[in-house]
Formats: sequence, structure tokens, C-alpha cells
Amino acid sequence: MELSIEIFILATLAFGLMAYVIGRLHKQLGSIMTILGSLTIFGGIAYLGFTGGLTGETAYLTFTQFEISEFGLFFAIIVSFVFAMVSFFNPFFIKQYKYPALYSMLFMFSLAGAIGVFFSSNLLYLFFFFEFVVWTSLFLIPMGRSKKAASWYYGFSAAGSFMLLFAILMIYNANNGSFHISGIGSVTGTTQIIVFIFMSGAAFTKLGAFPLHIWLPKVLTNAPDPVSAVFSGGLEKLGAFVALLAIVNMGGIGFIIPSIDMYFGQMIIATLGALTIVFGTLMAIRQDDAKKLLAYSSMSNGGYILVGFSMLTSQGVAGGLYHIVAHAIASTAAFLAIAAVARVAGTTKMKELGGIIHKMPVTYMVYLIAIISMAGIPPMGGFISKWMIFQAVIDKGMIFIAIATVFGSIGSFLYVFRPLAALFLGQELPQFKKTVKEAPFFMLLPMIILSLLSVYTGVLPGVIIDFINKIFVDMQLNYNIVMNGFAIEGYTSGIEGVGPSLLNPLLIACVFGVGVFVAFLIFIVLKKSKKIDLMDTYTAGNFVYTEEHLHYSVDFYAPLERLYEKYIHIMKNFYKSLANKVREFGAFMKYFFFTNKPEITVFWIVALMVFLLWGDVL
Amino acid sequence: MLQFAAIILLMLGLYGLLTQRNVIKIIISLNILEIGLNLFIISVGYFEGGLAPIFTSETPANPNFVDPLPQALVLTAIVIGVGTTALGLALARKIYQKYGTLNLDEMGEN
Amino acid sequence: MSAILLIAVPLLAAFISILVKKVSPYLLLLVSLFALVYPFFMDMSDVIIGGFDSPIGINLVVNKFALTSLIAVNGLFFLVVAVNIAQYKKLSSILLVALAGLNGLLLTGDLFNLFVFIEISGIAAYLITTTNKKPLQTFNYLVAGTVGSSLYLLGLIILYNMSGTLNMADMATFVEGNGMYTLFPFLLMFIGLGVEAKLLPFNSWVKGILGHSNNLSGAMIASVYATAIALVFGKLLAGVFQIEGTLALIIALVLGITILAGEAMAYASTKAREILLYSSIAQAGIVILLFTVGLGAWATFFAIANGVSKFILFGVVNRLTEEVGSDEMDQLKGSFVNNKLIGVSFTVAALSILGLPLFFGFVVKMNSLIGFFEPDFVSNLPGGNFIFPIIILVASVIEGVYFVKLLTKLWYKDSDVKVNFTPLFKYVVVVLAVALIVFGLFQGEVEELVASLINPGGVFIWN
Repeated sequence: MELSIEIFILATLAFGLMAYVIGRLHKQLGSIMTILGSLTIFGGIAYLGFTGGLTGETAYLTFTQFEISEFGLFFAIIVSFVFAMVSFFNPFFIKQYKYPALYSMLFMFSLAGAIGVFFSSNLLYLFFFFEFVVWTSLFLIPMGRSKKAASWYYGFSAAGSFMLLFAILMIYNANNGSFHISGIGSVTGTTQIIVFIFMSGAAFTKLGAFPLHIWLPKVLTNAPDPVSAVFSGGLEKLGAFVALLAIVNMGGIGFIIPSIDMYFGQMIIATLGALTIVFGTLMAIRQDDAKKLLAYSSMSNGGYILVGFSMLTSQGVAGGLYHIVAHAIASTAAFLAIAAVARVAGTTKMKELGGIIHKMPVTYMVYLIAIISMAGIPPMGGFISKWMIFQAVIDKGMIFIAIATVFGSIGSFLYVFRPLAALFLGQELPQFKKTVKEAPFFMLLPMIILSLLSVYTGVLPGVIIDFINKIFVDMQLNYNIVMNGFAIEGYTSGIEGVGPSLLNPLLIACVFGVGVFVAFLIFIVLKKSKKIDLMDTYTAGNFVYTEEHLHYSVDFYAPLERLYEKYIHIMKNFYKSLANKVREFGAFMKYFFFTNKPEITVFWIVALMVFLLWGDVL
Repeated sequence: MLQFAAIILLMLGLYGLLTQRNVIKIIISLNILEIGLNLFIISVGYFEGGLAPIFTSETPANPNFVDPLPQALVLTAIVIGVGTTALGLALARKIYQKYGTLNLDEMGEN
Repeated sequence: MSAILLIAVPLLAAFISILVKKVSPYLLLLVSLFALVYPFFMDMSDVIIGGFDSPIGINLVVNKFALTSLIAVNGLFFLVVAVNIAQYKKLSSILLVALAGLNGLLLTGDLFNLFVFIEISGIAAYLITTTNKKPLQTFNYLVAGTVGSSLYLLGLIILYNMSGTLNMADMATFVEGNGMYTLFPFLLMFIGLGVEAKLLPFNSWVKGILGHSNNLSGAMIASVYATAIALVFGKLLAGVFQIEGTLALIIALVLGITILAGEAMAYASTKAREILLYSSIAQAGIVILLFTVGLGAWATFFAIANGVSKFILFGVVNRLTEEVGSDEMDQLKGSFVNNKLIGVSFTVAALSILGLPLFFGFVVKMNSLIGFFEPDFVSNLPGGNFIFPIIILVASVIEGVYFVKLLTKLWYKDSDVKVNFTPLFKYVVVVLAVALIVFGLFQGEVEELVASLINPGGVFIWN
């Protein structure tokens, strides 16, 4: 069977409109349309994509052109999958929204835009879809907690997409008026550097990488819970897509730094990626809000993708691509798990929660698996991608980048463990004893699927590695990852007789499984812990009134935080003061030119003419 | 010479617009500006010893007419100027009714 | 059928309407409908008045550009009048004069004639703004407008003295060989028109007028007049002016500052109407910029798209202000919760101004920007080809932030503001919003339409 990709885009839009119309009549039914829609789209694209049935012909959207590329397919499958999984949550959250029907429609529309971005071969329409995603997702955000997040989002997104536009127009200019996507690779000289800078800028904003990251935590914290999952797992990947085009597709930028065999442009990206990792990790450590914590973790994972891409080696780029998959799955699962908790508990603040595991064991497991993957611990997908990225970095001999990546991994132990402990473990809080229940089946279903996939990608990487190899061939890159049975081949050590390093995830998983089994045995055999009430604690003879402060997640890493807490708001303050400068400039101009006196205009006219007539200006 | 007179009037008008705080005086300044402008337009077509561009029985065979077009333009410009002035004065009256003063500084509204 | 009817009929109707006051609103509606329909049946030939051929006599230029602008401006005019006339019956004759003036502006091929029409439409505009009940602000507008048009006339007369012609086409050929000498008169004309076109140092009147506008004057000045003036100014810049040397530098500075400062001022404002008026200053700057650098065809549509959007934005905000009693954003918040249809139209108009895809604004903004990057494009302004696209993009970012802020406030805050919009207004606004979407979807057709404005030599037709 063959179908054009435009059919999928149009179908997504049609589903969106249907969701709106039905949603006007019945809220839940409308959101169920989003499930049907995104599942259909995901299924269709994945099935036809793997069987080679997708075509790029345009019969209706004749103004643009599509081409089916392997990397486009890769991204489209991931993003539509994330949308499909998240859509299961929509019916349960739809009542919280101010405009439920609109929500369902825009949800589908942003999926349509994302698919459009991944398959456009015309750069102008790639931008068209890129912007389309911006404004459709924009109106999803204020349905959540804060209205301000929307303008932050738009400011950064617009800056990002206009950088992309500028790069695209430069390419257009350099390629004699052609918008074809292959033109990215054929620009040279100064234009190449400008295009590289601006496209990377666009990628950084979308990915929420340092120093253009401010919007990400704001949006992910304040957007409605399922939307946060969509952003973190899905729409952020638009940035990764642009990064792939800019960093990998354009090849080396600038001169080569001989000692580490890296191009200068890629070196900068790697450095910024490493900073993103460190910064995201440090910020995540000090958050009290579980969603905000995950938001910063999302940011630092974006840094890994950038570091991987910028290495420009088989292992690095493949690691970056693998990380996109692993992170999409894990962060979607984590955000969904938090969303499930937030739905019943009404808050995501860690100090107000505790002991949820007693009521929501499945959600707990889902979250556990997700954070294991995000922290890069075997046997989850995140481990493999991080391993590949480490290896690429170390092979290049980039000590500081390597330290940063390791720091990010270690740091993620520190922070992802906290919501686990604070939300799920610990004493059960009295106010949740009655209200909290395990999430309904249709919410558990996507979470379980995501968890299984997390494990699957961590144990059997073959399918994805094959796909990545196909992408390399498709992009005409000289990279290849060799699979040796179940193991991924890494670099050869250079010592005679010693083969390439091998990563055998299956073996690791087995060892890990044995370890878990042993731990479980110990757990069974040893004495059970005693259950106590929250109030049953030492209080120096006083009654506990504000028990939140006694929650052990409060100021958990205070000594560590004290090391850097003075410096954390630098970037945020920078952007705030930038906004203030614009406002001041506006107020200044207003004061000067708009004082409502008739002579002001005359004054400026006379002043301009005097200036010009003064000595031969004209 | 005529041009200089015109330009001086223009400057005077602009000076008045810049300095005067009274609505009526501003309108007068506008008028001075316009008169200067009109004079300038006339001066463009005029030259020493030119005749009025009207054919009569006494017109010499090879008449040395001034350019008639600027004169036509000036007529239009004057009419428009009168219209603007009238409107300005009407507004001045409205302003006086509303604020009880014609001095811009005393109106207290920005 | 002659194009002169577009000017003569409204003027005649204006006289009649003074005599028969009772039927004057109907007369106005009838005539403005006529002015909207008539351009569709006009021949594309120049109209010569008084039997003198074109360099000597006055002529009206009827070409595709004129037709496009006539249809757009008269269409907007008709809608503004149709929506508001019930409230402002007394203004019928003045609006008829305004219609005559605007049509004359767009049609005339004579520079002095243009001055006359500027004044006619200007006086009508002053009178329209008296409905704001802010005589002082109107007075400011009058002073600024009169000084502006006087400067235009001064420049024009100097040019006439040099070239001996007032005809635009003739002037253009004269200017081509004598670029250096014409800088000063062109500067005077630029400043003069700049006053009306809301360019930055010369536009102090805008805040007083649009900041206190009502249903009629807001839409009239910000939408109809702004579009007409921008198109006429553009016509002169693209067709007559010779932009080089210092003049180019001045124009570049004025436009760059207008665009950036306009957006910054809008960003610094908290009143809905002020936001819109400063934003329209920036938009005017962009339109004039596009005309100046020779992207006139897209600039025409930029101006039209902007006019349509501003009609919706000002119309809605003024109505809200009238009901709520204040145009502070915080007072208006949540206004769309109970007026979803109006809210959606408002949103569409705002998103179109931001140049987001699916809307007309995207098509015009993108194509204008592409114009800067055509391989054979050479900017005639200092700063190279890429400075101005960057300015436009930076401005768009600022613009986006405050519009999104405004939209989220109007949509997502809770409030019990309930404003009644007349059904007619609702229909008009919704139809315009749908039009913005339709034009945004059929990009190919729009591009063809625009391409027809450019003759084979790649030069934008104006004469």
C-alpha cells in the first residue's frame, strides 16, 4: 500500500477539526478523537514507513514538496508515538481546561505541524510547519497553571524560528533561489558559518539548550500535565531535528583543532552542550516541584544529544540519535507518571506529597523505570545512548566534555531519586489516604507500554541501531555502527590482538536481573520495616503543625546547593533585563516623541533639516 | 529677493509653531507658514519684467509671460489653507469650551 | 467607464447629502458600495482630464496597482462605514468627502493633484477624529498634518522649478538623470508624507488620535487611511523618488528606528489601544521599507493584510473599551471568554500580523523577506541586503511577545466582562478573519496575483 505523507498531514488536521466539533458537543468524546487520531497517524506512518509505502507526492498541498527520508521517518515515528501515548491522558485531564474542544484540536494540529517539519524537502515550508507548531502549541500552554509561560515560550520560540528562517533565506540566497533541503550541505565560506550559527541557534532554542533554555522549565512546569509530556518527549525533538541538519548534515565548520581533531564549530556546540548538561543537572537538583525537576532534566538530556552530534563520529552521532529515542520514551513516561500523580493529588510539589506508592504502585514502577533510563543506568535505553556518547567523547580525548557528561549522569542519580523518594516513598500522608487511587487502566496502558519500550531499547538495541545505520546511508554520511550478535561494537583499542570494545546490553541486563533477584530475596528474607505515621516523629516535645517542613525532601541537597545558589539566575536575569531594556527603550521613545504637544513634530522636522543643511550633508 | 522673503516667512512660521503656546497663535503661525509657501510658489514662476499670462488685444507678438502654472497652484493652495484655518479655529473654539483656556500649558492634559 | 467617477460621484453625493440630511447615511452607503464595485468594471487606461495630454494636463492612472489598492481601500472603507454609520449619522457628508479624497490619492498621476487629495482626505480625517471628543488631540493632528503637507508642497515646487513638470511619470524620467539635485526636495516630500504615514520622528499625533479613538475613527484612521497613505507613499517611493546618498541614509535610519522603536513602544505599553497603535507605526515602517527597497508588489499586499487585521483589532478593542470604560489590558482581561467568535477573529488578525502560518500575514511576510534574499537583489539603502531583514525579524519577536501577552490576558483570565457586539459587526469581523485564513491557504493564487503587479522587466508597475 502506498500513501502520500500529505494525506497524513491532512488527516491529522481533519482529526483535529473533528475533535473540535465533537469536543464542542461532548468534552471527553472530543479528546477520545485525539487518541484515535494520533494512534492512526502513528500506526500509519510507522507501518508504511517500515514497509516503504510512504511517498512524498503532493496532490493537495501543491505549494510544497515532501521527501521521505530515513531521518525524517525516524523523528516522525518517535514524535507521533509520543503524541499517541500522551493522548490517552487527554480524556482524564480535559475537564481541567478552559477550552477543552480547542485543546483537542490544537493537540492534533501541533502533531500535523511536526510531521510536516520532518518530511518537508522545501526549506521554506519546513519553516512554515515549524512556525505552525509554535503557534498551535502556544495556546495549549496557558490552559495550565501560569499564563506568563506562554509569552516566554513565544519569545524564545519566535527568536529560534526566525533564526532558522534567516538561515534558510541565506541558503536560498547562496543556492541561486532554491529552497531544496539538500542546499544546506552545499553552502560554503562565510555563508556556511552564518547558516551554521543561526541553525544551531534555532536548534538550541527548540531543544532548550544553554543559553537559550529559560523557556523550557517555565513551559514544562506550567503547561497542563499531558502537554508537558508532549513538549518534553515530542516537540523538543524538533530542535534535535534541526540540530541534526545543522551539526551533522553540514559537516565540519571552521578550522580543525589539531590536538583533538575537532572542527571549531562543533567544538563550540559540544562545549555549550556540556554546559547545558551541567547547568540542567545543577538546576534540577535544587527544585522542589517534580515537574520542574524533570524539566531541567529534560534540558540536560538535550545537552547529551548536542554533545553526541557534535562529535561527528559514528558512535557520537548514533549515540545522539539513540538518546533521542531513549529520552523521548523515558521523559514521556516520567512526565505521564507525574501527571497521573498530579491528577489525584492536585499538586506536584514534592514536599506536599509522600507515600503515593501505597496507592499507585504501577505508576511508581513506571516512574522508576523512566528515571533509571534517564540517569543512564542499565538495563534501560538511556544507558546505551549515554554509553555511546561517553565513548565518542573519550575517544576524541575531550576531557572536560567527558567530565561534564559523567557529571550529568551522576547528577541525575541525585535528582531523579528525589521525586522517587519524596513522591512515592516515605510515609503516606494523611490527606491522601482517601483521595488517592491508582490511575485508571487507560492511563496505565501508555505508561506501561513506554516502560516496556524503555527496557526493550535497553536490552535489544538492534532494531534501532539498524534504523540509525539506514539514516547514515540515507544522509550519505560515512558512519556505521556494527552489531556483533547482541553487542554493539565500539572503538578498537589499537592494541594488537584486542578487538573492538563490545557493549552487550543483553548480558548486562541478565546480570542486572540477577542482582535485582538477589536484592528481592534479601528483601523477602529480612525483617519487614515498621510502618509509622507521619506525625510519629521526633519533634522535641512539640506538636507538629506544619508537617511539610519536616518532609525530608525539603532542602534535601542544601549543602550542595549552597555552592552555586548565587549564580543560578544569571541567564534568567540576563533575559529579564533584556526585556526591561526593550521596555525602557520603548518608554524613552514614547517620552521623546509622543508628548502630545503640537510643536514636537515641528521640532523634529526642523531639527532634522537643520542637521542636514548644516554644512553640506545634502 | 522674493524667495528670500518667502523663506523668511517660512522660518517665521516654523519659529511660531515651535514657540507659541496659544492655540490661536499657533494657527496664525501656520498661516504665516502657508503664506510664505504661497509666496515661494509664486516666486518660482516670476521673473523681472514678465507679463501677466493673459492674452489680450494689447499682448505683444512675442509675449514674455510669467509661468502661469504656479499661480494656478497657489490659488488651490490658498483655498486649502483657508479650509484648514477655518477648521483649526473651530477646533480652537472647541478647546476653549472644553478647557476654558487657549493656552496649551494650562490645559493640564497630556 | 471612466475612473473619474470614483472621485466625482462621492463629491457630488457629499454636496447632495448636505441638502438632504435624512437620506445622507443611505447615500453614503450606496456611494461607498459603488466605489467598491466600480473598480471591478474599470478599463485599464489612463484618464486624461480637460483634454490636455498627460505630461501637461492632469491624468488619473488606472493600472493593476491602482485597481488593487482601490478595491482594498474602498472595501475596508465600505465595511467601516457599514458597521458604524448608525452611530455616526452626522458624519455622512464628511465620510463622502473622505472617500473622494482617498480615491483621488490612489488614482492621481499628478504630484500637485496628490497634494490636493492629501489635504482633502486630511481635512476629512481631522473632522472624523473630532468624534473622539478630544479637540486638543485633533488640533495636534491638524497642525502636524498641515506642516507635513506644506513641506510636501515646498519640495514639490522646488522639483517643479527644476523639471518643469508635475506629472509623476514625467518627473521620474527627469529625476533619473539628476539624482543629486533632487535630494533636498525629496527629503522634504519624504518628511511631509512621513507625517501622514506615521514614520517615527514625525508622528506624535498618532498617540492622541488612535489612543482615544472610537469605533469609527479607530478603524478609519488605523485601517483605511493607513493603508491608503502607505500605498500612495509607496507609489512615490518606488516610482518617482531617486533614493541615493544621504537621502538613502536618512530614510534607512528613519525606517529602522520606526520599526524597532514602534515595537519597543508597543511592548512598553499597557493599554490595548496604545499597543495596537504603536504596532501599527512599526507596520507602517515595514511597508514603507519594502516599497523603498523595490519590493513594491509584496508591500502592497503587506499593507492590505495589515489594513484588514487592524480593522478587526481596532474595531474589537474600541468596542470593548466603550463597554468596559478603560482600555488597560488588566481591565479587559477575560473579555473573550464570553465572546468566543469575536475572540477567535481577533486572534486570527493578531496571528496574521505576527506572520504565523495559515494566515495571510505569513504569505506576505515570508515573500517580502524572500525578496531581500533573491540572488539578484541589491538593496538601495545603506547597510547591505541583510540588515533590514534582521530588523524586521527582531521586531517580529518583540511584536510576538506583546501580542501573545495580550491574547493570553484576553482569553485565559477569568472575568465576567460581557460585551455585546452588534450582529453586523460580528459578521463583518468573522468574514474578514475568514478572508485572512483563505488568503493564507491559497498561497499560490496570491503569488500569481502579486506577480501580475510586476511587469516583465521585474519593475513594479506604478505608472
